[in-house]
Amino acid sequence: MNLKSYRFVLFLSNFFIYFILTFFAIVMLFPFFYMLSTSFKIPADTFRYPPRMLPRDPAVIEVEGFEQPLPLYYVEVDRERREYALAQSNIRIGVYAPPENLDATAERFLTEVKPTGGATNQQTVNIDGKDEKLFDVEVYGQVIPMIQISQTTVGEFIDPQNPESMVYQNVRLSEPVESIGWHPENYTEVIELNNLGRALTNTALVTILVVLGQLMTSILGGYAFARLKFPGRDTVFVFYLGTIMIPFVMLIVPLYQLMVLIGWTDRLAALIIPWIFTAYGTFLMRQHFITFPKEIEEAALLDGASRFQILYQIILPASVPAIATQATFTFLYAWNSFIWPLVIINVGNEKNHVLTLALNVLRGRASDTPNLILAGAAIAIIPPLIVFILGQRFFVESVASSGVKG
Amino acid sequence: MTTQSRIDAQKNLILRIHVVWRILFSLLAASALLLLWVGADFADMPLWQKILLSITATVASVASAFGAHQISKRNHAGRMASLVLDYLAFVACLVIALNIGEVFIGIDALGQNFGRGIPYLGITVLGYFLGVLEEYFPRKNSTAESSLKVVSRWVMFGGLALFLWQVDVVNGAIYFFSKLAQPSGILYAIGVLVFGVSIWTMSRREIAQALNVKTGHEQIINGWLFLSPNLLGFLIFFAGPLLLSFYFSFTDSDAIRTPNWVGLENYARLLNVKFVTLASPDQLARDVVDIKVYDEVGRFTFGDRGILFAAADKFFWLALRNTLTYVLFAVPLSVIPALILSNVLNSKLPGMKFYRAVYFMPSIAAVVGISLVWQWLYNATIGYINYFITLGVEFWNNLFNLAVVDPKIQWVSDENTALFAIIIIAAWQTMGFNTVLFLAGLQNIPGELYEAATVDGAGPWAKFWGITLPMLAPTTFYVVSTTTIQAMQVFEQVFILMNPPEGPNNSTITLVLYLYRSGFQNFKQGYASAIAWVLFIVIFGLTLIQFQRQRSSSIYEN
Repeated sequence: MNLKSYRFVLFLSNFFIYFILTFFAIVMLFPFFYMLSTSFKIPADTFRYPPRMLPRDPAVIEVEGFEQPLPLYYVEVDRERREYALAQSNIRIGVYAPPENLDATAERFLTEVKPTGGATNQQTVNIDGKDEKLFDVEVYGQVIPMIQISQTTVGEFIDPQNPESMVYQNVRLSEPVESIGWHPENYTEVIELNNLGRALTNTALVTILVVLGQLMTSILGGYAFARLKFPGRDTVFVFYLGTIMIPFVMLIVPLYQLMVLIGWTDRLAALIIPWIFTAYGTFLMRQHFITFPKEIEEAALLDGASRFQILYQIILPASVPAIATQATFTFLYAWNSFIWPLVIINVGNEKNHVLTLALNVLRGRASDTPNLILAGAAIAIIPPLIVFILGQRFFVESVASSGVKG
Repeated sequence: MTTQSRIDAQKNLILRIHVVWRILFSLLAASALLLLWVGADFADMPLWQKILLSITATVASVASAFGAHQISKRNHAGRMASLVLDYLAFVACLVIALNIGEVFIGIDALGQNFGRGIPYLGITVLGYFLGVLEEYFPRKNSTAESSLKVVSRWVMFGGLALFLWQVDVVNGAIYFFSKLAQPSGILYAIGVLVFGVSIWTMSRREIAQALNVKTGHEQIINGWLFLSPNLLGFLIFFAGPLLLSFYFSFTDSDAIRTPNWVGLENYARLLNVKFVTLASPDQLARDVVDIKVYDEVGRFTFGDRGILFAAADKFFWLALRNTLTYVLFAVPLSVIPALILSNVLNSKLPGMKFYRAVYFMPSIAAVVGISLVWQWLYNATIGYINYFITLGVEFWNNLFNLAVVDPKIQWVSDENTALFAIIIIAAWQTMGFNTVLFLAGLQNIPGELYEAATVDGAGPWAKFWGITLPMLAPTTFYVVSTTTIQAMQVFEQVFILMNPPEGPNNSTITLVLYLYRSGFQNFKQGYASAIAWVLFIVIFGLTLIQFQRQRSSSIYEN
């Protein structure tokens, strides 16, 4: 084969691969980008159609003679697109036309026209069997009696540099001048006003305690399964293995009653204590410890070290990747869990809410402010992402290997 | 008297005290058993608790008597029985004492101050990383190396102390002791001390020698000791509740009153269905079944005939139908693209790790948060998904000069699309995870196979069908079955995204949602337990198929 054409085919196939991968990467990342961008928007911007990615602020300008800064809009003056400030809105205007030619319309402020024949004795004209009131409308210096066809409102737009220059047009159909503007205060608002601050610290507390507790029990248990010989070990291990695939929802009803019995309903303890004993984590730790060379341990035993010393001083320092992996797993599980907190913590007891519960409440409470809801979602989603990025090296590899081993 | 004989006398004294202690323990357990059935205090205790406590007391009493006998015969079995009983009693007393001191409930109070302490916890972690940093410095002079370690230790210590101060641990301790200073608290605290001393004396080396203990026995004790925190917690918070759940499924438990045994009634109601032939496809259900008992779930029509499917509990069958539909679509949609993507990712081009990490991201984000994001993406008027559809339709119309109508799908409020909206989220969220699993499977396929195939003139498609797919079979089964188990438990997406969670016309009611509704909104917890067991049987059946297929590849390696 010709080398040049071979290179071209290779380039083409690589280009195709990257195209597919990038397409899927965008699909995967798009909801996250959407979440972040919306969480920095103002509420009015979130409801705009068509939707836009970057958050925007309406531009305002200080104009002499006005106390408040005025919003800027695009208006067309002398066939030129210019930025004018909205000085007054809701100015009512009427659309008028002479009775003999209803298509020849003229727009006038309601204050500009006077009833024909005076206010007390207004003349009327009969059109299609209906009496219509006549108004004096001035057109090119001439006063013509006309009927009012419809009413509408416009805004008064002025040139910020030259407030005498005015343009009238419909405000709703005018395009506002906008600039990219971020609103990180959405986050402070959702944290301070919607209880997400307390939920965040509660979640952190629960997660830290679950991770530490689970590491402790599963390291000890995993070591016993992997390295210590005692009657009943294999039976218990098979029993552990068998329970790994039992779905958690099997337990919510009896565990709830157990919590009622102990008096832990509505308590953070219920989110922590039952979760620090795990068959799956023990199994993973056992799988790791079993690969540790036996000879080192036997040598240490001969030197008079206790089992605990061996575990703590020799095996643990060599097992940091495995432990980090399990810590990451447990972190994600504890941080993201929803159904158990939903069952055990009362909706009204906000001081014991975790993030997922607080989000559930926020969803109902702030349904007209997606920016706040998505700021809350970002608070719940970003810490696990950070942990994932830090622990990625261990984590993805170990998901891969645990998957193949079963 | 010589020193040796004095030590022997001391040993014998200790062992004699232990024999007395074991007999005392046995008698105490026996009297507790008696009190449980005769005493007035326990009259209104639920039966299952009474039985559980009775069994515990009987076993403890008998084992303690056995221990006394064995110790007096200087047999090592006595030491083991003694250690096990004292250890269990020690743990029980400790936990109860902590509970009386309100340590577990006090976690709530800790939660109140925890926010203040987080920065100092950060300092502690920083101190730890300072210590880790030391390993990266070349070991030129030993003094600089150790000073970093010292600084690290002090930063950690200081951070931890400040953290404890900030979360008000002093007041917490004072509160703990004030709570403990009541008769029952003091009793359990004494229990902790007594059992502790007993364990300590019994585990001393010379006592062990006196009882002829060998290293093998020591390993047994160590093994159970190391396993015990895990095993105890596992029994109390997993195995016990699992049995309890089975028991509840035969009762009318409502979490408040004492449950009554109802036999198979819950299961009978769940599975009570009726198929009736209809005279015409639109015949009303009340004409053919007793609508006091049965509700129509659905009907199948063939021409002018039809079959009516009615059930006593219509919601359960709707939930089962929705869950199975969900599994049927969500699993292939998250497995097949993952298979394709992993094959693309497996090319040895730069940047693949980046893509792998990106694909993984959705699966680690909280489902609740993700569902909220998708709720707004699905919004019918301002959401991005309909916007993209509109753009696509416009582009298509302009390209081919057609007039395709923009569907303007009402994603979550239309009963035909609601479940599909959930399926799309599930596919999006689990695809990356499955991709990583497939990728690992692909990387285990030996490259020689492909090389041999290339020599034989096989094209890419032939290689994919002939080598990749068969070699990937174990991974595929694993991925499919775990995804299925996950999908069977779908709850959070539905609960967050749909309002009400059942969706329009019950189109998104799922088994777990129905379980939650029965157990925690209607408080029919016995019935909810029965639903849980039916769910388990379905999942178990699906997993069993996977286990049969995967038997060839080993689960553990030793």
